[in-house]
Amino acid sequence: MSTSKDWLTWSFSPSISAIIVTLVISLTLPILIHTYLYRKAVAKELPTLLLLGPSGAGKSALLTLFANGTASATHTSQEPQTATCQIPVSTRASEDRYRSENDTSARTQPKFRLIDTPGHGKLRHHATSTLTSAPALKGLLFMVDSAAVSSASGLTEAAEYLHDILLLLQRRHTQGQTSKTPQAIPVLVLANKQDVFTSLPASIVKTKLEEEIAKVRQTRSKGLLDSGIGMEGEGADEEGNWLGEFGAEQFRFAQMQEHGVEVDVVGGNVKGEGEEGGRVDGWWEWVGENL
Amino acid sequence: MLDGVEILTTSGIVLWRRHYAPIPRSVVNSLVADVFIEDRRLQTGDTQQPPTSYRKDKYTLKWTRAKDVGLVFVAVYQSLLHLSWVDTLLTAVKTLFLKEYAPELAKPHLTKLDPARFDPTFDALVRKLDTGSTRRPSVPDSEGPGELTPPSSSASATEEAVDEPPPPPPPQPLFRKPTAPASQRDDTSTDATPVPTPDTSRPSTPASHLLTAKSGPGKASRRARKAQQSFGNSSAPASSGDESATGRAQAGKTGTAKAKRRWDADGFAVEGEEEVLDYSTAGATPSQADNAAGQREAADVPAVDSAQMGTRTPKGHFILKDLDDDISALLANPPHQQNHPPTQTTPSDPTLLTTATTKLTSLFQNILGNKSLTATDLRLPLAQMRTHLLAKNVAREAADRLCAAVEEDLLNRKTASFTTVDATLRQAMSSALTKILTPSSSLDLLRDVTATTTTTTGAGARPRPYVISIVGVNGVGKSTNLSKLAYFLLQNGFRVLVVAGDTFRAGAVEQLRVHVGNLSALARRGGGGSISLFERGYGKDAAAVAREAVGFAAGGTTTTANAGGGAGGVGLLFDVVLIDTAGRRHNDARLMGSLAKFSQWAHPDKVFMVGEALVGTDSVAQARNFAKEFVDGTGRLRNNGIGMDGFIISKCDTVGDMVGTLVSMVHATGIPVVFLGVGQHYGDLRGLNVGWAVERLMR
Repeated sequence: MSTSKDWLTWSFSPSISAIIVTLVISLTLPILIHTYLYRKAVAKELPTLLLLGPSGAGKSALLTLFANGTASATHTSQEPQTATCQIPVSTRASEDRYRSENDTSARTQPKFRLIDTPGHGKLRHHATSTLTSAPALKGLLFMVDSAAVSSASGLTEAAEYLHDILLLLQRRHTQGQTSKTPQAIPVLVLANKQDVFTSLPASIVKTKLEEEIAKVRQTRSKGLLDSGIGMEGEGADEEGNWLGEFGAEQFRFAQMQEHGVEVDVVGGNVKGEGEEGGRVDGWWEWVGENL
Repeated sequence: MLDGVEILTTSGIVLWRRHYAPIPRSVVNSLVADVFIEDRRLQTGDTQQPPTSYRKDKYTLKWTRAKDVGLVFVAVYQSLLHLSWVDTLLTAVKTLFLKEYAPELAKPHLTKLDPARFDPTFDALVRKLDTGSTRRPSVPDSEGPGELTPPSSSASATEEAVDEPPPPPPPQPLFRKPTAPASQRDDTSTDATPVPTPDTSRPSTPASHLLTAKSGPGKASRRARKAQQSFGNSSAPASSGDESATGRAQAGKTGTAKAKRRWDADGFAVEGEEEVLDYSTAGATPSQADNAAGQREAADVPAVDSAQMGTRTPKGHFILKDLDDDISALLANPPHQQNHPPTQTTPSDPTLLTTATTKLTSLFQNILGNKSLTATDLRLPLAQMRTHLLAKNVAREAADRLCAAVEEDLLNRKTASFTTVDATLRQAMSSALTKILTPSSSLDLLRDVTATTTTTTGAGARPRPYVISIVGVNGVGKSTNLSKLAYFLLQNGFRVLVVAGDTFRAGAVEQLRVHVGNLSALARRGGGGSISLFERGYGKDAAAVAREAVGFAAGGTTTTANAGGGAGGVGLLFDVVLIDTAGRRHNDARLMGSLAKFSQWAHPDKVFMVGEALVGTDSVAQARNFAKEFVDGTGRLRNNGIGMDGFIISKCDTVGDMVGTLVSMVHATGIPVVFLGVGQHYGDLRGLNVGWAVERLMR
């Protein structure tokens, strides 16, 4: 008892030792608390890219190529798959764009997460739910089989899916709940399988998709009302369901720019025939710029 | 003869594969799409037995799954063969693969494995199981771990190798197997003279000499000949004392056997015996063979007992002990357990304290989440969910199947933090319902119609009218929904022909006449389409009426067809043909049979079946019976083996929340719901919004 009283008296007395002890404690305690709380600091969230597209386009093969360096054999996916990939040394990331070519300082290429989703019609909800809910989503990779696009059914399927995705992005931009618009997500349309004989070049793929999307939005506007008509309050108006410029005859990907969605179409192939591997440089460049 | 085995993840990446013959990629892709994603096997109605084989083109595929790690093991073989051991192979491959790669599989986000580690195990397994006559020669694969004796390659030698008593332990060690005989394996295999089995009834010196000198099947013949020659016998095969063996061995051959001709490297026949290349007998001729004799250090190798290292299969292959034990133990007792034992141990003697603490901990875990779900955890919530679904008018079979699927999905998963078991179950059930109700490819009727009526494809196909037919049981609302559909098409400017294909019911034609009158008045006010009725009265054959109507809509006489055929559907009189049919009970075989003829004569582009939302369990049987009627000329179901193209669920405004019929009918057949009828006016037709339906069901 007497010792505790002594300690208390000493601690409140203006002696040098007490002052020093107080200073030390008051300065180090916050630092200790900070290190304790931030010891498992949330690692800076890796930027995420979402890979989607109609079935059979080559998304799972692209995932294995980006993650492992070589494309492995794949079959139809049933579930989404995530992989951490790193931009190859030959590609310049956007954060290095002001570096000189002769810069010899070692720099590690940025990493990102790639989420591969199934393309089958029944399993597309994985893609749409990830689109609306994923944190740090930096870009969308929409993969298309350039050879299938030359047929009417393949073109229709790809165009419908792309129309739905672009409409989702447009709605996200225009119908946000708060006044702050969410961060824009650029879209890259990958025209895969350019090595196949019947494939169309990337520019033709772009024009075909634009025409088909114009037809799709036309029929959607004239189609039957949905059964869920009373559910979502503001989604029922015509303008909300029209992609791009309201009332325009033609659809161009440039019309999506007003909603902050940049669409590019780049060709390449994941699997090359024989020894030559895939040519994916254009895609890596886009990833490097937009990450 | 297996064509191939593949091991893939649920996200589609092939981790390991072995192809004995090229397999087209579409085969496994269609297995995944038809069985795993769309669950087409449910349409057979066979709910007892989950089938594990799938046929596509000329292949049969069998599979097994490892759900906890998300792997699928697939074996492909030609349908003509009947391989009974494939199931055992798959189970054994699954167990061994999971054991081999357990550390890699425990990590999340697996995209690649080192396949070479599993190859020898797989080869040994196949060799062990595949003992039938359809065995594929193992030339492309590795020879396996312990191939120390040359295989007996001639079938007769094999049988006799089985029959004869096992050879006594050879005096010389097995390791002293010279390489020369290995390279001359082919010589022995093409040996015309078979192994002379010792006939104990006729013991004679040459035979006994053969017996002791034999150290492996397939070699005895050569050895026998050497022995004979060393004894100076004639070149007759078995010793003269063993005529029975000779007779048995040379079935069908008369006279003495030919002397075997030897060929040298240049392709010339070698006359006489210049080299002795058989070094296995103890008293054999001294090695004048120059090639390998000197370098062989066989004499330095200590004697090894082969029985300790492994066992022989009946074919004489020597399999190393550890692999063999593994595999045979596996095959003898196939692992039956699929689930891990429940992590929550139920107390054996329930004292008050233990039950109370268990209950409290489980309650807290329930609230806090991160709880591993066991069967007992899920039992009560699942029963409640099943009752809930039944209360929503989902058929019992569909509800049972849904609950079983959700349970299988959730077993041994952990709940997310701060979610109860109930909430997790609801979430899983919502996603299962969404998956069922979402169609594989959405129907866009306007685009299909435009495409069919305006295209002239490269093959020179003329544009033709788009034919839609409506079928269903009595009184579900076929004519009403048909007129709603006609109204929708009229608003979009198409020319519609309504065909009175119901030639049986009194007043059916008049009913349609009234509808067509109303609709043409509405079309005149706005829209831009036109509508008319095609009818042939009562009592006629519906298929004939339909065919006539389609011909009429396509352009009537041949002259107008030829003149107008070409661009823009000019020659067509009508763009869309809507055919109404008579209502029929789905268990009336005669009436259902006439549907097949109807579809073959009218060639409808779309067949919609109308089902009312008020029907109960009967919906499943209705859907199945109607779907299997629509076969085309070859006997195959139209629309890729599905039958119909969509359901129209009518009278949805009368049921409120209880829209379970949607689920029952889709679950039974895999055919999507395309329209909903929500009233009795012309505009009361809606498309299906899956989110709306699921929300109604889970409410």
